[in-house]
Amino acid sequence: MTATMVTDPVINELVQICGTDHVFADRSARVNRARVPAPFPVHRWADLIPDVVVLPTSPEQIAEVVKLANRHRIPVVPRAGGTGLTDGAVPLRHGILVDVKLMNEILEIDLEDRAVTVQPGINMLKLNEELRPHGVIYPDDPASYPCSLVGGRIGTSGWSLIGGRYGHTRDLVISFELVLPTGELIRVGDGGGRKVRKSSSGYQLKHLFMGHQGTLGIVTEATLELVPRPETEFAAFFSYPDYETAWRSTAALARSGLATLAGVVLFDEWKLAYLRRDDEAYIPQPDSVRCVVATAMYGTTDEVRPAAKRLLRIGQESGGNYLGDEISQGDWASRHDRYATPLHGRLRDGQVVPMSWHCEDASINWTALPQVRREWHDIVAQLADRYPIFDDWGMFAYTNGAFKPWGDYLTEIDVGIWEQELDDESWAAWVDAKRDIAAVALAHGGSISACHGSCREGEVDLVPQEMGGGFEVMKKVKRALDPNNIMNPGKYLLDQAYEGGDRL
Amino acid sequence: MIGFRLSAQQPPEPERVNDTVVKRFDHVYEVDPALMQEHVRQHEFPAWETKRIVDGRWDHLDWMHAHWADRVLSGEELLAESAQPDQLDDEGVRPE
Repeated sequence: MTATMVTDPVINELVQICGTDHVFADRSARVNRARVPAPFPVHRWADLIPDVVVLPTSPEQIAEVVKLANRHRIPVVPRAGGTGLTDGAVPLRHGILVDVKLMNEILEIDLEDRAVTVQPGINMLKLNEELRPHGVIYPDDPASYPCSLVGGRIGTSGWSLIGGRYGHTRDLVISFELVLPTGELIRVGDGGGRKVRKSSSGYQLKHLFMGHQGTLGIVTEATLELVPRPETEFAAFFSYPDYETAWRSTAALARSGLATLAGVVLFDEWKLAYLRRDDEAYIPQPDSVRCVVATAMYGTTDEVRPAAKRLLRIGQESGGNYLGDEISQGDWASRHDRYATPLHGRLRDGQVVPMSWHCEDASINWTALPQVRREWHDIVAQLADRYPIFDDWGMFAYTNGAFKPWGDYLTEIDVGIWEQELDDESWAAWVDAKRDIAAVALAHGGSISACHGSCREGEVDLVPQEMGGGFEVMKKVKRALDPNNIMNPGKYLLDQAYEGGDRL
Repeated sequence: MIGFRLSAQQPPEPERVNDTVVKRFDHVYEVDPALMQEHVRQHEFPAWETKRIVDGRWDHLDWMHAHWADRVLSGEELLAESAQPDQLDDEGVRPE
């Protein structure tokens, strides 16, 4: 079992590994790397501060830091952009925080085999600015597109707004190199080739080391897919008088079979009410606009232009009313960058209060969306009735399948939280609500999370239920690869892997 | 050089849009100041600053479009073309 043991001699060793300028034990460096944008128990901030921060500049330095951590049984927590909406980068047990932001170089652009190799600290927007002169992009497009980093996307196994066309992070990362919890440096992919997209050789280890929230290692390099930069973008937003019509139209659009369709997004009535309150695009909309469905396409002009006409026809024939170019184009452009949106919420009397944004997400099949929506809003309503520091900001359902945007949906309920007012009681109520939200997802045949991960307080309690026998395998893998439980301990209930001596 | 202009400093009086929203400029909406009294106070902005922020937002959205693709198709234009099926489109092709 790990405990905090970062002493001056350990810091001296870290300085020898990373250099004086890359080791920080001062309070501001540590405090600012405690939290992520998800709701955070600010009243317990001090419990979650790392003991020391290192910013390595090479894979070898990371490997040496991890070996040191094993020698001294010190927790190691990897951190990239720190933009995740579960607590993968939050140091639950203090220890050494490995911040990879200085490893942000492009190592190779291969236009022949269509792959770019980067370090984990590079951001997708900055990467695509560098790729633009070459006529290619790396199309991984989360709501944190301008601020999240490639390493974190792998650690989360992220979801992309345009994944229906181009795939999600797991589909776009061809292979990557990582430091295992015992300090060895390995590369995983489909088989062994760095730029091979499909192999039947050996175990498919790429997926094992994606989405582990930092519990199985630290990514040091990644080889990513390159696709032609789109000639043309088309976004169409439709309005509907009721949820039922919008829900059915969502399916009609998603099942259109149009290859350039990048995504379909369903906004429910609560979301419209929230947007009509504060969003300049929706404030002027008439009351008859109760729900919205957003669509977007990318590709060559020859593909997108006729497909867009068909998409407009499907939207209208299934009950939608095209909302116009200004809202369609403007709102779509803003969806690449939701973290820049200044946020406030309301108390029941309408007074504005500062609130942070959080969304609980799940993977839900289309048929279950209406019932999940009802049950989730009931849970948040009961929470907000007891604690007015919570505010229901409505729900989205995004197409979730890679390349085939139908079937299941990234379903999220956005909740505003007045964090400064949190205390133990309201935090416990929030955690209970999160657990209830996850339980609804599982009861309807879904998965607890489509894109954030499910290791935060509350929902994590149900991960063994979701994974079934697979959770026992997770524990065996964790203990085999991380015998000293130094790699991001406390996440995903994986401390259980170390209970019971040699039983595992 | 244009010197001090009162109209650039002094925003116009707000016009009510609905129960919770007011506006001082076209398409620029503000929370009703009455709802920002107890916990968050509304900032006083000179008119030019509001316009600068709004323009900056549009610049940002334009930048994002250009970042992702060379051109953006207009749904309004496509719908108009579909309503007049005998016309050729801008590539000289008869619309489907």
